[in-house]
Amino acid sequence: MARPMGPVRLKRTNPVTLVLGAALCIFILYFVIGSSAPDFSPSRKATAASHHLSPPTSPFRKPASGSKPKPPPVAHYNLNNVTITPNPLENRENILILTPMARFYQEYWDNLLKLSYPHELITLGFILPKTKEGNLATTQLQKQIAKTQKTGPEKDRFKSIIILRQDFDPPLASQDESERHKMQNQKVRRAAMAKARNSLLFSTLGPSTSWVLWLDADVVETPPTLIQDLAKHDKPVIAPNCFQRFYNPETKAMDERPYDYNNWQDSPTAQEMAQHMDPDDILLEGYAEMATYRALMAKMAKPDGLLHEEVPLDGVGGAALLVKADVHRDGAMFPPFAFYHLIETEGFAKMAKRLGWQPVGLPNYKVYHYNE
Amino acid sequence: MLPFTSSGSKVIPRHHVSGYSNGYPRGNTLEMSPHRFQPRGTTPSAVRRRRLFVRLGIVAAVIFFFVLCSWSGTSFLSIFSLGLISSGDGIQLETVRYYDLSNVQGTARGWEREERILLCVPLRDAEEHLPMFFSHLRNFTYPHNLIDLAFLVSDSKDRTLEVLTENLEAIQAGDNESQHFGEISIIEKDFGQTVNQDVESRHGFAAQASRRKLMARARNWLLSAALRPSHSWVYWRDVDVETAPFTILEDLMRHNKDVIVPNVWRPLPDWLGGEQPYDLNSWQESETALALADTLDEDAVIVEGYAEYATWRPHLAYLRDPYGDPDMEMEIDGVGGVSILAKAKVFRYGVHFPAFSFEKHAETEGFGKMAKKMQFSVVGLPHYTIWHMYEPSVDDIKHMEQMEQEKLAKEQEEKEQAEKAKKMKEEFTNPAGQWEQDKTKLQDIALKEKKKEAKAVVDAAKELPGAAKPPAAKEKEKVVARDGKQEGGKT
Repeated sequence: MARPMGPVRLKRTNPVTLVLGAALCIFILYFVIGSSAPDFSPSRKATAASHHLSPPTSPFRKPASGSKPKPPPVAHYNLNNVTITPNPLENRENILILTPMARFYQEYWDNLLKLSYPHELITLGFILPKTKEGNLATTQLQKQIAKTQKTGPEKDRFKSIIILRQDFDPPLASQDESERHKMQNQKVRRAAMAKARNSLLFSTLGPSTSWVLWLDADVVETPPTLIQDLAKHDKPVIAPNCFQRFYNPETKAMDERPYDYNNWQDSPTAQEMAQHMDPDDILLEGYAEMATYRALMAKMAKPDGLLHEEVPLDGVGGAALLVKADVHRDGAMFPPFAFYHLIETEGFAKMAKRLGWQPVGLPNYKVYHYNE
Repeated sequence: MLPFTSSGSKVIPRHHVSGYSNGYPRGNTLEMSPHRFQPRGTTPSAVRRRRLFVRLGIVAAVIFFFVLCSWSGTSFLSIFSLGLISSGDGIQLETVRYYDLSNVQGTARGWEREERILLCVPLRDAEEHLPMFFSHLRNFTYPHNLIDLAFLVSDSKDRTLEVLTENLEAIQAGDNESQHFGEISIIEKDFGQTVNQDVESRHGFAAQASRRKLMARARNWLLSAALRPSHSWVYWRDVDVETAPFTILEDLMRHNKDVIVPNVWRPLPDWLGGEQPYDLNSWQESETALALADTLDEDAVIVEGYAEYATWRPHLAYLRDPYGDPDMEMEIDGVGGVSILAKAKVFRYGVHFPAFSFEKHAETEGFGKMAKKMQFSVVGLPHYTIWHMYEPSVDDIKHMEQMEQEKLAKEQEEKEQAEKAKKMKEEFTNPAGQWEQDKTKLQDIALKEKKKEAKAVVDAAKELPGAAKPPAAKEKEKVVARDGKQEGGKT
């Protein structure tokens, strides 16, 4: 079909269009490639397990889709070679950070990201109750995890992350500060807490962990070198002092106050009280009805004290606690029953002592609790 | 290429095949153009700039492309496959795992719900028992892909580790897919054991407390390294079990108890009674034992089955009736470690094998006590029996040596006796011949006497013929009777 005669404009290819087109192609190509999973450094790939049936403390290689699954390999772990030294960084020791979580605090996650210990040696473990609140916290947590692990910079990404959901109901519906701290509720609450801690610990510890850092979900501020600083002491169980920042109306300024009263040294009064107790009763700290006169680490902090001063402890709190994995492997756990009239983290300190491990505390090394 | 470079214009007839309908040639379209509007901006400098842009763009694109490729480490192939095929070596890491522990509670029919079992086996110098153990392993009827194996090899001087690895790799590489197990972990850890593993020092009373604490540590290390959030059950099994039903996992699981143990006996040589209760660590608590516990020091460990601690506890082992109902349950407080099936949640909640004196008990007995303390159900099956291997103790070996000597002595004696009998037989054959001679002699004498008598009778008969006959007949009868008797006794 002939076209009618007339001036026909033949478009000349504009170089700008060419450049734009090329740029667009590259842009598309970038997304075609970039749309696959985030990439990891070779060192991370080398430590990854080859099968999904493997310790959760390491990542695993996703099998190529469509290929026939192979039987799991015979895996060797030589625990004689898992070192636990005062210099974990140099020996590339694996840290497991365990957090029982009921509420998600963004500050907690931000603080975790700030830790200066290489993230590719850190595994995170969380346990959350199966309640409405727990579901909400899980969603928020997963959102942050996806952000860090999938799209975040590689140095921020953790080695692996384990999320567990509790298989028992929390004894109290309310996590309110006032309700939570009522004395009669304490034993049941702390027994449940102990079960949560043990469930988290014994299903995630695995064969390659050197240190376990217990960090509560409401600890929102720690020094970035927390792991290195605590490990440097080379103690089986070591607890920093847990404080809380608040606005002091008297001085009209931000101030801090002791928060965790579970780090203590035993007193004769407390032992005397324990002797007259029913075997299933527990001693509690921080209640006026039960004055134990124990020496509390919370009260030992001195403004001019040495940062790395150590004190031996008989009871520990769980807000922040660095434990050598061997202590847990020997069987030291958080008793959900009255163990020498002690429960949960305080009972743990007692059990560690029974196994020959002496806990210590750092009164002047502070971490901070969330203020609600 | 560009308009201004063309100098001449060509006029091509209309409707020419090779040209456009307006008469322009088809070929180098841009080269013609007397009639074309020349944009004002197309000055040579602008054109050069544009050309530069194009070249820069191309160069930038190429560089970007190469950088992208080398940085991401992906091959060109993956780019052209548009990411549909995963990159080269197929490594994609999954760093996040999510588990809901309420899905792994453990039920009576775990095999139907695909519940995973962790099978824990502590090993030390156990090379000789491994072939037997693997035959048990292969025979388990519980789906193998649901069984995760965990071995702790500690302080071994023999080839336990090598033999174990070879066997396991052979199973996993085998063609029979139903034989493939789930996760397999071999954990090495030396505790620097000073206690010998031979039967005598293992079972000696004095060594018990420290030995049990050490065993407890080993068990805890194994469990804490191997337990995963996906496990519903944990099964502890000693390597030296000789006979056990293939269905033992299902059989124990069916009871749906938190902790359950079968009865453990061992076969014995006949001279020891044929069989014997083996595991005395499964027992019910007694008042005597509780009272005894109160008197002991904080670190003391009560061990069962030794005369030093008379606890008077009812033992699972002694309650066995070979014809009893194998499903019968018995509540117990201490458990033995030969074969324990427990729900994984028992261990997750913190129950473990105390490596210290927990309520005066350690290891498996302390485990039972702690499980009870946390309100878990702990039961034993008195009439469901598995058989531990029989290893003779030093006493038994002594006894056996003694028996061997006795046997030899007996044989010797028998031999001597046989010889004696033979000799006697030889000696006794002569008297028989002698007797024959004697007999004939006797008979001769008798005959002579007869003749004499007959003569006398004849003589007498000459005087009294009727009276002398009967006594002579009587005499003869007597001799015959005595003769017959003696003949009979001899033959």
